Amino acid sequence: MKKSTALTTTLITSLTILLTGCGGASNSTNTGSNSQTQSANTSGAIPIGIAFAQTSNVALLGQEQVAGAKIAEKYFNDKGGVNGTPIKLVFQDTSGDENGAINAFQTLINKDKVVGIVGPTLSQQAFSADPVADRAKVPVLGASNTANKIPEIGDYVARVSAPVSIVAPNSVKAALKQNPNIKKVAVFFAQNDAFSKSETEIFQKTVKDQGLELVTVQKFQTSDTDFQSQATNAINLKPDLVIISGLAADGGNLVRQLRELGYKGLIVGGNGLNTSNILPVCKALCDGVLIAQAYSPEHPGEINSAFRKAYSDQFKKEPPQFSAQAFAAVQVYVEALQALDKKTKVNKLALPQLRNDLNKQILAGKYNTPLGEIAFTPVGEVVQKDFYVAQIKMDKDGSQGKFAFLK
Amino acid sequence: MDINLFLQQFLNGLSIGSVYAIFALGYTLVYSILGIINLAHGAVFTLGAYFTYALMGGTFGFNGLLANATLPVKLPFAIALILGSSLAGLVGVAMERIAFQPLRRKGSDPLLTVVSSLGVAVVIVNLIQYLVGAESYTYPAGAYGSLPASINFGSPENPIPIRSVQIVIFVVSVVFVAILTYFINSTKYGKAMQAIAEDPTTASLLGINTDGFIVLTFFISSFLAGLAGTLVASSVSIAGPYFGIAFGLRGLAVIVLGGLGSIPGAVLGGLVIGLVEAFVPGEYSGYKDAVAFAILFVMLIVRPQGLLGRRFIQKV
Repeated sequence: MKKSTALTTTLITSLTILLTGCGGASNSTNTGSNSQTQSANTSGAIPIGIAFAQTSNVALLGQEQVAGAKIAEKYFNDKGGVNGTPIKLVFQDTSGDENGAINAFQTLINKDKVVGIVGPTLSQQAFSADPVADRAKVPVLGASNTANKIPEIGDYVARVSAPVSIVAPNSVKAALKQNPNIKKVAVFFAQNDAFSKSETEIFQKTVKDQGLELVTVQKFQTSDTDFQSQATNAINLKPDLVIISGLAADGGNLVRQLRELGYKGLIVGGNGLNTSNILPVCKALCDGVLIAQAYSPEHPGEINSAFRKAYSDQFKKEPPQFSAQAFAAVQVYVEALQALDKKTKVNKLALPQLRNDLNKQILAGKYNTPLGEIAFTPVGEVVQKDFYVAQIKMDKDGSQGKFAFLK
Repeated sequence: MDINLFLQQFLNGLSIGSVYAIFALGYTLVYSILGIINLAHGAVFTLGAYFTYALMGGTFGFNGLLANATLPVKLPFAIALILGSSLAGLVGVAMERIAFQPLRRKGSDPLLTVVSSLGVAVVIVNLIQYLVGAESYTYPAGAYGSLPASINFGSPENPIPIRSVQIVIFVVSVVFVAILTYFINSTKYGKAMQAIAEDPTTASLLGINTDGFIVLTFFISSFLAGLAGTLVASSVSIAGPYFGIAFGLRGLAVIVLGGLGSIPGAVLGGLVIGLVEAFVPGEYSGYKDAVAFAILFVMLIVRPQGLLGRRFIQKV
């Protein structure tokens, strides 16, 4: 008996350690270069921190971001990295909450000694974790933080993800173009997500600005799956347009239940629904959902072609916006480091100096990314020229679908 | 609230409440026999949904160890439902052998067993994510044959649409509750389980194989969790490895509300929580969980033994 108990305990312990290592904090790529960068006077790879949600219900988005960042790492290292010195991405899992993001940032800053951080996945997390980096004077680039006031968190905080206030109204305008008879609008949003709350305010303002009637505002949680009562409440008010701010799993389920309960009007999804991960959730019923985009796989340009090809080769589908933005964020670091290295060799700089100079260089540069040409305001807000609206087109059986970009 | 909306929300509440009921029955069975709360019940709920998905020929995404994997079988939903739930039942048996029995044999404090079950839940959830990623999955089209997406219980002018899947869930749940009730109250095995729940030592002295019935209890409990997981997933989708966490918490609320260890209480508690959630006004719909747990809180103060539970009496 003692033997079997010991075996059992060993098995459980081993499994737990194994699985925590696999699914949890995945500081997978860089352990050896910490000491190198601390003194910043060696020729080791330059560590850039990547803090995305690899677990929790936000992992749907975080995994897309990890994919984009890894493609960028390989792409730029194949091209010689930072003037001959490779970059090394150091991944930390933020999970889906604020504590996870703060822990990931602290580990990247203090243990992994990264030169800067890309992340976190959610705006909600950014409001808690970005101040940690700002106080430590470590540059942060948000790849998917689109809530208002993100760059204003601090001098070391910037983002490549265009704010929701610019992107979101485009989809409502596209809906009105498709159906000029829209009068009544129902709005749904995830009240436990800072980004969704911020986005719904923009959507609701757009609805009023367009002279439409807001017939109901229904709330839910990102962890919800059952929306029968909210959908029923809204459908009974006979809206012509439904606008949803949430994440992929909850948003997809809401679309599905609205359609199954008989709602036939147009649906606009927010940025959280801007992922192909929504397609397996609502399948054929996803058809027709309009989503504003900060990225189009069809965007012309050499770097987008390369990114699109690398992504499609690996995942057999078109790259989503979250992957493109993660790629762009890594690209900004690489090109800023290249520019800095031409002025002063980065491996000669002490880490605090390097982080400080890098932050200035990031804000000063212009970057031709898969998102198109981007730059930054002095506060760290992205300046992006091109935006798009896509409409989901599903096969009749719902097995395959794509984001078709509207002209 | 007009009558149409009332009826619609009532049916919505019955449907989701019936799933809460069968899910909570599993909790209740284990509690009745062992006097512990199995916190891995929500994780088994998730597993059941994944098993059925795999047995129906569903393909996994690109993020896990099983990326793009598909089983070489494509079973109809009804068969996959039973097999998937049975596999969840077997996981429950394995769980009992690995995480519960060793502690029980040592006579450990029940709190340690609860912590052990929490550990099992964490391992299962992480294992799922490791194997199949965090993506959502929806059962292949046609799971319910040629049923229409919704059925109108009103008139064309005043429609009361109810999703067909909700009706199926309600019917299946009622059938399984009836089967379980019959099994517990009218069969030799069910009566033996009741005897163990009452006094395991005396039951053992009477020749009842206590250990065997504990295994059977875990199988039934986990079968019901897997069944509930599959039914919910057929209504919404499998929302990733954390799919069952919220259900796990709500299941706790249901069994405490209904009365710990009471099978009719679990059913009643499930229906009450489902109906209360359905009638939370739209502008407060994000607070459904808070309302459910507030009711639980009030119940604990007013009637600590729950709606149908027995009052705890300590003999001195």
